[in-house]
Amino acid sequence: MSDVILEARNIFLSFHGVAALTNVSFKVHKGEIFSIIGPNGAGKTCMMNCINGLYHPKDGQLFLKGVDITKMSPHKRASMGLSRTFQKIELFGGMTVLDNIRLGRHLHLNSGLLSSCIYWGKTSKEEISARKFIEEEIIDLLEIESVRNEVTGMLPYGMQKRIELARALAVQPELILLDEPLAGLNLEETEDMARFIVDINEDKRWKVTCVLVEHDMGVVMDLSDRVMTLNFGVKIAEGTPKEVQENPEVIKAYLGEVEDLYVSRR
Amino acid sequence: MSYLPCGQYFESYLDDQKWWRTPFIKAKMIFMLVVVLALPYLVASEWLSVFYTINYYILAALGVQLLIGYCGQITLGHAAFVAVGGYTSAMMILFIPWPTFMVDSGLVYPISIICAGFTAAMWSVLFGLPSARVKGFYLIMTTMAAQWITVPLVITQYVSQIGGRGQSFSLPPGLIKIGPWTIDDDVKIYYFSAFLVLLCLLAMGNILRSKIGRAWIAIRDNDIAAETMGVNIVVYKLIAFFVAGFFAGIAGAFWISALFFVSPEHYEWFYSLLWVGIILIGGVGSIQGIVFGSAFVVIIFKLLEMGVLGISEFVMTSYPEIGWVTTKIIFFKESAFGLAIIFFLIYEPNGLSYRYWQLKNYFNLWPFSYTGK
Repeated sequence: MSDVILEARNIFLSFHGVAALTNVSFKVHKGEIFSIIGPNGAGKTCMMNCINGLYHPKDGQLFLKGVDITKMSPHKRASMGLSRTFQKIELFGGMTVLDNIRLGRHLHLNSGLLSSCIYWGKTSKEEISARKFIEEEIIDLLEIESVRNEVTGMLPYGMQKRIELARALAVQPELILLDEPLAGLNLEETEDMARFIVDINEDKRWKVTCVLVEHDMGVVMDLSDRVMTLNFGVKIAEGTPKEVQENPEVIKAYLGEVEDLYVSRR
Repeated sequence: MSYLPCGQYFESYLDDQKWWRTPFIKAKMIFMLVVVLALPYLVASEWLSVFYTINYYILAALGVQLLIGYCGQITLGHAAFVAVGGYTSAMMILFIPWPTFMVDSGLVYPISIICAGFTAAMWSVLFGLPSARVKGFYLIMTTMAAQWITVPLVITQYVSQIGGRGQSFSLPPGLIKIGPWTIDDDVKIYYFSAFLVLLCLLAMGNILRSKIGRAWIAIRDNDIAAETMGVNIVVYKLIAFFVAGFFAGIAGAFWISALFFVSPEHYEWFYSLLWVGIILIGGVGSIQGIVFGSAFVVIIFKLLEMGVLGISEFVMTSYPEIGWVTTKIIFFKESAFGLAIIFFLIYEPNGLSYRYWQLKNYFNLWPFSYTGK
């Protein structure tokens, strides 16, 4: 648990004079589940977008596996083993579930234009091995066998969230950013999703480091190794779930003055 | 994704990913190939020109379908790239002093087709460059610029003046030769066009089921998500323009073998719109849609032409005193195309290919009309 996979140093992000993130620094260690919590508008998703490359911070640096990625484009970061899911579902609505997950394998396929045109031979073999990986490692793990040939846009919300996770896993990431994976799910789906997150984090096959943004405190406190709290773009606490729960500033900022509300929404 | 009939199970990923997955589909496709091959013996000879026009529209609309239907990059200037292909091929045949053995063995025209493909592809990439920065409506304007810059300016004013023949280059009969065959009658033009169409459709279908095609569809559906999954959006958009331009170049190079000359009036903006209309009628984002759309448009045009000519003749012979009416109805053909697009956008926005898909599923699921989901 010692080597650092992701490090943010003094991240500063602003939109036309509104400071979204001020001087945020943190380290994520290999193999842990690191959660970012905070009230609405605290800058959690902004932080995710900075790590992912959709936003570029005005100041500060980001290091992934020791490499400075501050100026890199999102697809380069993906090739370094960074993957993510989105708060608002961002699937490819016109493709089937299988094709969505296959797109996640994009970086692991390397057939060029000409061999794609011919298909027979190299590309065909590559596609079959990609299919094998998807079927045996991802679809089996996430229990989505029954919908693999459905068009994604037609599926229910909870299933779409799961397919987003499947697509992110197909990249075979070392670090995965989960932006509110439980938002809008019912109890059963929440439990399933929490189980999948633990699976991919602990399973020997995967061992993916997770950065989790989530409002469901019950799940966050149960799953996380460490928790960071943001409030109005400022980092106010970091530590184990227990430390953060007891931090008076977190209680004040996050929950108002009322005590003992660290219960889940259930 | 269409449903398969009951009792179809696959034991390997190879079988499941095949194009022709059931014996019925195989039989159907082989039957289709036989019909394509036997067509010159099945229809009257004046209809052959209709069929190779369909094939030309399929080749040209293939690139439009790729850009609009699969990559989401709206283009309204595709005739420019077809023109580049046609002119490249014609000028290579006419102006390059080929050694006689190459002319005799019929290598010149095939080589010129490939060169036309690459020239048109590079020209297309040049006008695709703005797609790195702009989307949607603004991209329409930049692709329209391709049309106005290429056809009325570069080709009409400069390229056509080469050799001092005026506006059009005519290709003397016997010059267009593929191997031992001289392309000089409708049957040969038809077979040549059918061969090119099958080859291009095969290539397009194969690209679409591999890495590059999926990246295009991902860019169309959600470019931000595509980029976070590792797709280099700019590069893949340019590859889309390259491939679309290549198909356009092949289409242009084919068409000179049917016309025996090239002239800027065959690449007017109307054709760019026509090919967009074809994919709207056939179905956006569907390979079959190109075929259905092209066939629909060309055959409807032909029938209207025959109808209008018949009516005109009837009016002129029976009621010569109202003969002026005939001058008013000859433009019905063009307006019918506009009406067809409006009709399709309102009543069947998914195009003919969607209707075909519904039909197939109906029979696959028969007698149960629902899927249980």
